[in-house]
Amino acid sequence: MPIVERKQVIPGDVIARGDHRYGPFVEKVGDDYIALRIGLAEVGADGVKLNPLTGPYLPRADDEVIGKVVDMNGFGWVVDINSCFDGFLPASFVFGREFSPATHDLSSKFRVGDIIGARIESFERSRDPQLSIRGQGYGKMDSGELVKISPTKVPRLIGRRGAMINMISERTGCDVRVGQNGVVVVNGQPEATTKAVTAVQMVEKEAHAADLAAKVEQYLGSGGDGN
Amino acid sequence: MSMKKNYVVETIRKAQMMDMLEKGKRLDGRALDEPRKLTIETGIIQKANGSARVSLGNSQVIAGVKIATGVPFPDTPDKGLLVVNAEILPLASPYAEPGPPSEEAIELARVVDRGIRESEMVDLTKLCLVEGKSVVTTFVDCNIMNVDGNLFDATSYAVVAALRTSKMKKYKVEGDKAVSTDEVVPVPIERTPISVTMARLGGAVIVDPDAEEEAMMDMRITITTDDDGNICASQKGEASTISPELVLKAADTSIQVGRAIRSQMVEATR
Repeated sequence: MPIVERKQVIPGDVIARGDHRYGPFVEKVGDDYIALRIGLAEVGADGVKLNPLTGPYLPRADDEVIGKVVDMNGFGWVVDINSCFDGFLPASFVFGREFSPATHDLSSKFRVGDIIGARIESFERSRDPQLSIRGQGYGKMDSGELVKISPTKVPRLIGRRGAMINMISERTGCDVRVGQNGVVVVNGQPEATTKAVTAVQMVEKEAHAADLAAKVEQYLGSGGDGN
Repeated sequence: MSMKKNYVVETIRKAQMMDMLEKGKRLDGRALDEPRKLTIETGIIQKANGSARVSLGNSQVIAGVKIATGVPFPDTPDKGLLVVNAEILPLASPYAEPGPPSEEAIELARVVDRGIRESEMVDLTKLCLVEGKSVVTTFVDCNIMNVDGNLFDATSYAVVAALRTSKMKKYKVEGDKAVSTDEVVPVPIERTPISVTMARLGGAVIVDPDAEEEAMMDMRITITTDDDGNICASQKGEASTISPELVLKAADTSIQVGRAIRSQMVEATR
């Protein structure tokens, strides 16, 4: 891990001064870069960055999310994406351009309560995020165990280039799907699933630990190496 | 922005629950007849005659008792007044809204009130001061602080705990007027009713459903029993049905589970 100076900040703290680029949760006031959240701030080549320790999922275009269908109307599905915003999946994205509310039955595709993998198609502040299921691996998930973790811990769960999540899925033999919104679906043999779920929860609980990967590896290794 | 009306349970989560129920277990690891952890604190509001804060799992309720004098109802001139009310605070749940009480909140207050009233927990005849003119009035107000299913039982326990620890001024009668004295006495408690709410999911009956289980249940039944194991009140909810065999089973369960909870209640309000 490259050495970047990280410091804990609370809202209102000055993270840095001068001329930098800066990301979300940071505001520039005069010459000062002010933190807007509780989190770990770092000043590096990418400018001033703040990783919040808590918070809801804020949708971003092209994020992969896992959501729950909570409502249906003539034009599409309302999807709970574990955020302060509800996602909307337009029926025309599913049935194609020739979609018409008169000829197509929305409930033949997704029903209220279904879990779907989707991509954030677009999100502007003035409108709810639009979802799309175009592409491979998106759409309804028929089985699996659901786990919810804090969305701020998702990068930890995925790890550097997917190292952590690959380790969990290889060691347990489970298929682990992670949404950027903190929803995880684990598919596999019952015992392996329990193990993978525990590992995911462990990552969330100990996200701050420096030797997290080693701890998870040790846990997964114990009790017979599930190939 | 769309408004969330009700908690929608995930289809795969329900399938998983039904699988586990066949093995006699629940999603959160409890046995079918195992209620969540119950904590009872009393005397939390200084200015009230009695009060209690009860947590049942993550459901939390605060109850307060106010005792005064008033005029009895014309049909019960020799009985004191006992009124239980409940309100779900908007902060308690993402699905609770401010404004007039919802249907659920009204049902909650009625079911809790009925359990206390029909068990004759408080001897209302002892609360009569001057027949037809002056009686002791007891108002129990409940605020739901957090919603995680089974508010019926959490609220009922809070009311029972608050009433059991309530103190009131002793009144004496001068002519046909009631005058309060400095002496402080407990409320005349005769029994300790305990309500047990169960939910039916498929062929299984589970005790103390949490919010998720309530979202997937077919129907719900609340049975209140007293110290001697007599059933004194019950209420069925939701659209689905229940077979007579399961009702009898539920009644037995409510007596058994109620017994354990009653001893905890008596211990906490001694």
